[in-house]
Amino acid sequence: MLVSWRYRERNTFIQNLDPRARWIFMFATLFAAIQFWDLRFLLFFFALSLVYYLLARLAWQETRRVWVFVIVLVVVIIGINTVLTGRGGPMAVLRDTRHTVWEARWTVPVVGWVIRPNITVEKLVFAVAQITRMLTVALLFIPVAYTLNPNHYGVTFRRLGLPDKAAFSMDLAFRFVPTLARDFGITLDAQRARGYEVEKLSGGLIAQIRKMAPLIVPVTINAIVGAEDIVNAMDLRCFGLRPRTWLHELKYRPRDYALIVFSALILLASVFVRLRWGIGEFWVPDWVLRWFGY
Amino acid sequence: MERKKWYTFGTREVVFAALGAALYGVLSYLTNMLALPAAGNLAFRPAVCIPMFFGVAFGPLVGFISGFLGNIIGDFLSGWGFWFWWDLGNGIMGLIPGFAYLFIKDFRSPRSLIIADVLSVLGVIVGMLLASLSEIFVSGIDFRTAIVGYFVPAALTNIINGIILVPILMIAYDAIVARTGR
Repeated sequence: MLVSWRYRERNTFIQNLDPRARWIFMFATLFAAIQFWDLRFLLFFFALSLVYYLLARLAWQETRRVWVFVIVLVVVIIGINTVLTGRGGPMAVLRDTRHTVWEARWTVPVVGWVIRPNITVEKLVFAVAQITRMLTVALLFIPVAYTLNPNHYGVTFRRLGLPDKAAFSMDLAFRFVPTLARDFGITLDAQRARGYEVEKLSGGLIAQIRKMAPLIVPVTINAIVGAEDIVNAMDLRCFGLRPRTWLHELKYRPRDYALIVFSALILLASVFVRLRWGIGEFWVPDWVLRWFGY
Repeated sequence: MERKKWYTFGTREVVFAALGAALYGVLSYLTNMLALPAAGNLAFRPAVCIPMFFGVAFGPLVGFISGFLGNIIGDFLSGWGFWFWWDLGNGIMGLIPGFAYLFIKDFRSPRSLIIADVLSVLGVIVGMLLASLSEIFVSGIDFRTAIVGYFVPAALTNIINGIILVPILMIAYDAIVARTGR
């Protein structure tokens, strides 16, 4: 069974950056962006993430499925949840009914309860802010799978401060993937030869889960048996007694330092703006109110 | 017999954490590709039993890394990107059942199976609750949406998968333990 990493060499600006600098940038931008509900600030972070995403030069064909999922999620959450109920928003969004755009009145039969769903200008602006924030996070993190070399994860996280053993575990995990995918394919073929039809699993949810056992159990148990040999081989080579070296070494270049400084500045500035000046709360532009006749 | 410690992380744990992570990543990716009717719009992921089982068999740290890293690998194989809080939630789904490792001597006994199942359910509840609630400050959704829209579907399917498949894996693993003496 073919399992391939989404990663491939693209020789782009983003891929030529040190992976540690990229992680620092992504987390700094994430923690900066989630402090704000003011659309002006969120648009800044959205633009920053969009530039980062475009620099990764991902083709639409390879990311289409992910974007369809993200957009459906955003539309459902925003469409049903935010625009109609304003949930997740501050009190100005939840309670303010002065700027109503649409309102309906519906009486529930039998019990006679009156329901008044409404859409206000505040809810609409909040929905836009929420969409912007969700897309900012998606733009930041979707390129990771496509542009970070899986062979560099171990050394990246070791150099970011993770202990040797945890980083090596990470490195080893990425190496196991193709072997385990092949074993899964062999097991699936073997079970099919015995009449097992995974595409036609019948019964309820519980019955279907139980029927997955002939696939999951042999792959897992075989892998555990094989891993015992790896443990013995590593023990014989005295694994873990001294700090280890890594096949791939990472080296910061001036542009990586520039990105790290830029990330730190963004995070510090956003914390300062929010905590010191109290700027960044939910904001409704005057022109939007005027546009709706208020 | 050597007393088990939850924080042990030697060569054995390094290898099995990596194996658990790779298995979870690959199986969640491949089983997601297979057609599974009647699962509705729920995220049906039988592979969630892997971090729980690796926790039960090799300790909480192995369970945590299997879940945390395995979710990253599965997302990377599918191209979903990196979602830290959901990775952390998956890690906790392996961490909490991992404390069963301290009490289990015989993987076949009903007592062991019940302990593993109870802790697996607890792990799912804590892990998925944390991941769902994280969406409140990451995506800006409200508490009710986090619970109804994220937590309930994720936790429900993971609990069903865990309580069925973890005992099956434990019984199969018992044969290996008997054979290798580990």
